[in-house]
Amino acid sequence: MLQNHCMAEDAFATVNGSFVLLAKARPVEPVEEDFTEDEDELEVNDPFESVNRKIFAFNDATYFYVFKPVAKGYRAVVPEGGRLSVSNFFSNLLAPVRIVNSGLQLKGEDATNETMRLIINSTLGLAGLFDVARNDFKITIKKEDFGQTMGHYQVGNGPYIVIPFLGPSSIRDGIGLLIDGAYLDPLNYIYDDETGRYLFAKWVDIETTLSLDKDTYEAIKNDAIDPYLFLRNAYIQHRAGAVEN
Amino acid sequence: MLSIYNNTFKNEYTVIKHNYYQILLIIFMLAFAIQAKAVSVVSASPTAQLRTTVDAILDILRDKTLGVETRRDKIRTLVNQRFYFRAMSQRTLGRNWKKASTEQQNKFVTLFSDLLGKTYLGRIEAYTDERVEYLREKNKNPKRAVVYTQIVTKSADIPINYKLAKKGDQWLIYDVIIEEVSLISNYRSSYAEIIKKDGIDSLLEKIKEKLKTADAS
Repeated sequence: MLQNHCMAEDAFATVNGSFVLLAKARPVEPVEEDFTEDEDELEVNDPFESVNRKIFAFNDATYFYVFKPVAKGYRAVVPEGGRLSVSNFFSNLLAPVRIVNSGLQLKGEDATNETMRLIINSTLGLAGLFDVARNDFKITIKKEDFGQTMGHYQVGNGPYIVIPFLGPSSIRDGIGLLIDGAYLDPLNYIYDDETGRYLFAKWVDIETTLSLDKDTYEAIKNDAIDPYLFLRNAYIQHRAGAVEN
Repeated sequence: MLSIYNNTFKNEYTVIKHNYYQILLIIFMLAFAIQAKAVSVVSASPTAQLRTTVDAILDILRDKTLGVETRRDKIRTLVNQRFYFRAMSQRTLGRNWKKASTEQQNKFVTLFSDLLGKTYLGRIEAYTDERVEYLREKNKNPKRAVVYTQIVTKSADIPINYKLAKKGDQWLIYDVIIEEVSLISNYRSSYAEIIKKDGIDSLLEKIKEKLKTADAS
């Protein structure tokens, strides 16, 4: 009897426990769910803000008065397919940047994929004009650069900077850009002593990208109260994501 | 189990009555839980619910026979059904939400909903003719999910992730992450600076202004 009693006590306890559990599992609508503390604030280190804002205004003007009008003309003259091929060509040319930086981060699969892409697109894709690797082999591009490599090894962004003509960056990514440009960009070797031609090639690359873009910057300017802050935050988030992947 | 109970019941009458009600309650609760579970299995997954809305919006955008006004109204209805604007507003204001008065909170929700709806539409409108792929979903807990999608364009794949929260039997969007950039986090940091400098009323005024100029353009 005593034993029975004990067992009953046990059962009672569990029963009581599951009773509580079940009560919790009932779909009760909360009074109001609190979303205010769902996420941490993203702090951006921007000691050069006043200078950055001036460069930002300069870039904004060059965008609307130089780059965009040219892109629109380009859009009107060259059909989308043609511009896509130009974009593919430049992208293929920069494969060494992606291959080496994948390798530096010991991402073997990415490095292999990018090498495959370079081989396939340079041959079947007619010197990179067509992204055969993506369309027929389902090998998609994975962007890696030296800024990401440094980020991968825990190097922080450092101060946020806005680069004339190029836009949002950071000290880390700016240095990365210089290193990629100096050592891994084939254009730098092709036009070794011809700065004019090198810059022209870069300009064509930028205008092609802009001509294919769906007016992202215009949309941001339309929605954001302070486009400078909006882009700064977007850049830092985007790069954090790029480093993580 | 039951025989043990029966034994105990016979021997200790006082416990019997107590336990008997307890068991009845448990059976009732169990029945309820099983039923609730069955219902939740039947109700659609986050991806399915999101997909229904996104596809419906894209269908309306592609339908060239609709007038501008009807199109806008239809889309607004769909967006309002699927976006959890109150949660988005809370996340955007963060600590400032609790400091704001109820009136300021409500005003912010109204204005910010308008702005977000426009932003989201403006972006999705640009990709009307592209294909949307639903890659996978992740359930952090029974009330939170992330649906990973991408827009496949001619030149690149653009990743768009939706964060959803469950309200009743509906999964509602509380953040959209385009190319690793969270829309909410983006607004949050710039709004925090504006509030710090000029206060929340000034922010409300600025959003109102922004909506006017956006309408005009």
